[in-house]
Amino acid sequence: MATYRTIPVRNLSEAELTELSQNMKLSLSTEDMLVVQQIFCEIDRDPTDVELEVIAQTWSEHCKHRIFAATVQHTVDGQTEEIKSMYKTFIQRPTKEIMAQKPGFVLSCFVDNAGFIKLDDNLSVCLKAETHNHPSAIEPYAGANTGLGGVIRDILGAGKGAKPIANLDVFCFGAPDTPQEMVEGHNIIHPLGIMRGVVHGVRDYGNRMGIPTTSGAIQFDPTYIYNPLVFCGTAGVIPQEDIAKEMKPGLAVVVIGGRTGKDGLHGATFSSAAMGEASAEEDQQAVQIGNPIEEKKTLDVILEARERGLIEFVTDCGAGGFSSAAGEMLSETGGNLYLERAPLKETNMLSWQIFLSESQERMVLAVKPENLDELQKLADTFQTEMTVLGESNDSGVLRVWHNGECVVEMDNSKLHDAPTKHLTSVFNKGEARTGLALDDSNLTGDLKQLFGDFAIVSREPIIREYDHEVQGNTVLKPLAGASADAPQDASVIDIDGSDKLMSLALAILPEWGKTDPFAMGTGTVDETVRQLVLAGTNPDKIALLDNFCMGNPEEPTELGRIVECAKGIREAALAYGSPYVSGKDSFYNYFETEEGPVNIPVTFLCSGFGVVEDASHVRGASLRRSNSAIFMVGNTEDEMGASVYARVKGISGAKVPQTDCAKNYELYKAYYEKALTQGLVLSAHDLSEGGLAVAAAEMAFSGIGGMQIDLDALPTTGGWQNNAVPCFSESTGRFLVEVDEDMAAEFQAAMAGFPCARIGSATTDGQLTITAKGSTVLQAEIAELKSIWKNGLTPFY
Amino acid sequence: MPHALLLKYPGTNCDVETARALNAAGFSTQVQPIATATPAHVAKAQLVVFSGGFSYGDYVMSGRLAQLETERFLGDALQKHHANGGFLFGICNGFQILTKLGILPKASLIWNKSERFECMWDKLVKVAPNCPYTTYLPENFELPSAHAEGRLVCEPGDAQKYLDSGCVALQYADNHNGSELRIAGLMDPTGRAMGLMPHPERFLKPRHHYDPDWSGDPDWGWGYYFFKGAYDALK
Repeated sequence: MATYRTIPVRNLSEAELTELSQNMKLSLSTEDMLVVQQIFCEIDRDPTDVELEVIAQTWSEHCKHRIFAATVQHTVDGQTEEIKSMYKTFIQRPTKEIMAQKPGFVLSCFVDNAGFIKLDDNLSVCLKAETHNHPSAIEPYAGANTGLGGVIRDILGAGKGAKPIANLDVFCFGAPDTPQEMVEGHNIIHPLGIMRGVVHGVRDYGNRMGIPTTSGAIQFDPTYIYNPLVFCGTAGVIPQEDIAKEMKPGLAVVVIGGRTGKDGLHGATFSSAAMGEASAEEDQQAVQIGNPIEEKKTLDVILEARERGLIEFVTDCGAGGFSSAAGEMLSETGGNLYLERAPLKETNMLSWQIFLSESQERMVLAVKPENLDELQKLADTFQTEMTVLGESNDSGVLRVWHNGECVVEMDNSKLHDAPTKHLTSVFNKGEARTGLALDDSNLTGDLKQLFGDFAIVSREPIIREYDHEVQGNTVLKPLAGASADAPQDASVIDIDGSDKLMSLALAILPEWGKTDPFAMGTGTVDETVRQLVLAGTNPDKIALLDNFCMGNPEEPTELGRIVECAKGIREAALAYGSPYVSGKDSFYNYFETEEGPVNIPVTFLCSGFGVVEDASHVRGASLRRSNSAIFMVGNTEDEMGASVYARVKGISGAKVPQTDCAKNYELYKAYYEKALTQGLVLSAHDLSEGGLAVAAAEMAFSGIGGMQIDLDALPTTGGWQNNAVPCFSESTGRFLVEVDEDMAAEFQAAMAGFPCARIGSATTDGQLTITAKGSTVLQAEIAELKSIWKNGLTPFY
Repeated sequence: MPHALLLKYPGTNCDVETARALNAAGFSTQVQPIATATPAHVAKAQLVVFSGGFSYGDYVMSGRLAQLETERFLGDALQKHHANGGFLFGICNGFQILTKLGILPKASLIWNKSERFECMWDKLVKVAPNCPYTTYLPENFELPSAHAEGRLVCEPGDAQKYLDSGCVALQYADNHNGSELRIAGLMDPTGRAMGLMPHPERFLKPRHHYDPDWSGDPDWGWGYYFFKGAYDALK
């Protein structure tokens, strides 16, 4: 039986090329197909089906990020500018500028599976985050399971094999109490089913891999009902000398781990298209099946092999399977691969299926032939399968053979790049109102309402399902404080073999982008940096990841928002001196219903990691004394837009918080150098969703004491007309600091010249009391607030 | 110097931090994957350790496949080691394996009362006075736990018998997983073999406690003293 076929393309008309792309599910546009035709006319032969599949995968949005590389005509309030590649303009260029200013901090980025920063003189840490949205919508458990499995392999394939040391997981769902009749369409899983499936999927992969899940977040919004978002991230550590890897001729190409099957076909092209109601059935084969124990064995082999110096090059089999791994390893040197050698899960697989399958738990290594025996022994020791698939040579041509026949012959130098896309985008500034007439007669009731909202309620039932202590290095845990269940801003982990520690934090504010995506960009980066600094991170040793998700980029108003957001994150990176060392984007997160498409809001996840110079710098976010001084750092302004308060009260058109990143950087640096590292701080908590009243109560959830706060003392430039503003505004750049009473004057002096004021004290009465102009405007039992907050998710989880 | 052998199965994932804790207490430690483990490895060791993780994924009853593979590769070497005065220590999944191997008093670890995986700190009470692993621990202390199958059940009447005969090394104060008579750790009548569900290796240093103001011990977390106790009993 023939396992491949030749596809005549050279004489096809435009319409026939388009039809061919559709029939083969290549997800290539007519324009792309014309370039394909041109390539094969130049080589003077017709392609095989395997070659067409390889090109489709290589040029897919998932692999090439063609939207972020597109030329965009961007119009803001009638003024048009041309942006040649959002990626280069807003992400790569600022990163290069920062790298030039901070030589030796970023050790590698843009070239490998993850970006690396310097931890100490010997070690480097890295971080990578990916999305697995479409699979998780169709099969939540398996989709999330393999989403995490995939990003762990990214880290295993970073450098010559980094050791995974922490996971982060961020989800965007519809609310778990969404009425069933709101979920329209056939085969759509209710948000509660999505949430449970996704959490269990992450739990069962991360826990079995023995990697602590230390950070995460969940956003709830009805627009995510049809397109839930699942971000999975993994951090790793590696000796600096093992970061660089290079392919050379004469190396054996080896696959380790799981077998290759028909699961996960067309994953890369599938995730680059919109979902329709027919998706569930026809795309199920694109979702793969996870086996974490297979991956754990593979991890054990790779880490041991790297320590013994057996690995010349390693990469994961992600989207595109062997095709993408071989493309990465052999496209420069050239080489031969023999598909009949690949261990299969089933018989009767076609050539393209073997070459493109995205079956999980496979890693591809390049090894010197004289080291093959030792590697085989390691594979036997850890009880995993290892197969020599082929070898590299110096021909510059990748040849793939199947049962003696050449099914792919590709000369990298003759392959054209995917054609540049041309897109248009529009953005019109929305309302930004201040001085709204808000009802502040029952702030205590408002606070209780906020604590019961899904945006704020404790994620404890989910956090406890993840092992966040395995590896025995978790210093700052996701749940902590004296009662071990209070919220935390960032996590910090010890690194074996170093006196320094690594911190992790993230922020995601999709509500902001609905009206002010630029402010979402700057605000999200600000929150990430701020959380890291409060936890004890050196503000000059922070690196960031950018993960974007959006709906249909061909809708100019949707694309306009992401352009504005990208402008914001560029500005923020430059101001904080924090480079983007890795990132990923996911488009076409929209769903066609009978009433038209439902797009997700433009969603930007900022993950950050950094260096904590000494364990004594680590600070949690919970109150530690009942007689300490409470300071507010940063200005509180009338910026109620996109706040949880505004959502709960149904307020629209209010001004979204604006972030002065350059000023904030100076503020954080002063706090770090003059207060935190001088031992003046007991604890500190950032102000984010819910504003001051929520943050103050959350600090007191450690159960040590209550808190008394006077709004009149809050630093501000513009003030407010209504007490709801200082209680619930989500102005950025702010945090609460707990200081020992004996050190209060010293702390105040250290922060001189910056917006910083003592606004109250910790108390022994177990109450949150907020006063203004001499009278109490909000008073609640901490224990009652905590009970509302702690039990918000438990009925659903 | 007492030597510890840590047996590693596909899916074992607490071997690095457990070896770290053993070394901190003074042991020389060898982590040995089960496929290449031999009775000779066991003969060299004074302490054989089974660390936490998910041996073979725990897809079958936890610890069961590890027990069968241990018997395939090591025969009765572990039983001989025990009979000859050797120590055996099982943590979490290792406790489940040791239980299945029949070295500890007969019991089973089944799904938690909540029927879910739970990662949290447990308050513990020291029970048996003559357990070498808990010699240096106070009456009440805490350790982190993380498991789905930690609920200890016995045949009717056995749990009380173990308590009466001094085989219950540790009890939970809170008992989140629903174990019979709150049993968190069991030992054999000699005290040389012990298993527990919580993870002592995760509380090696004071800074690994969830409360930054924890002041139980200036130098070490409570977990360290399990390994130190075994070391001092063997040196």
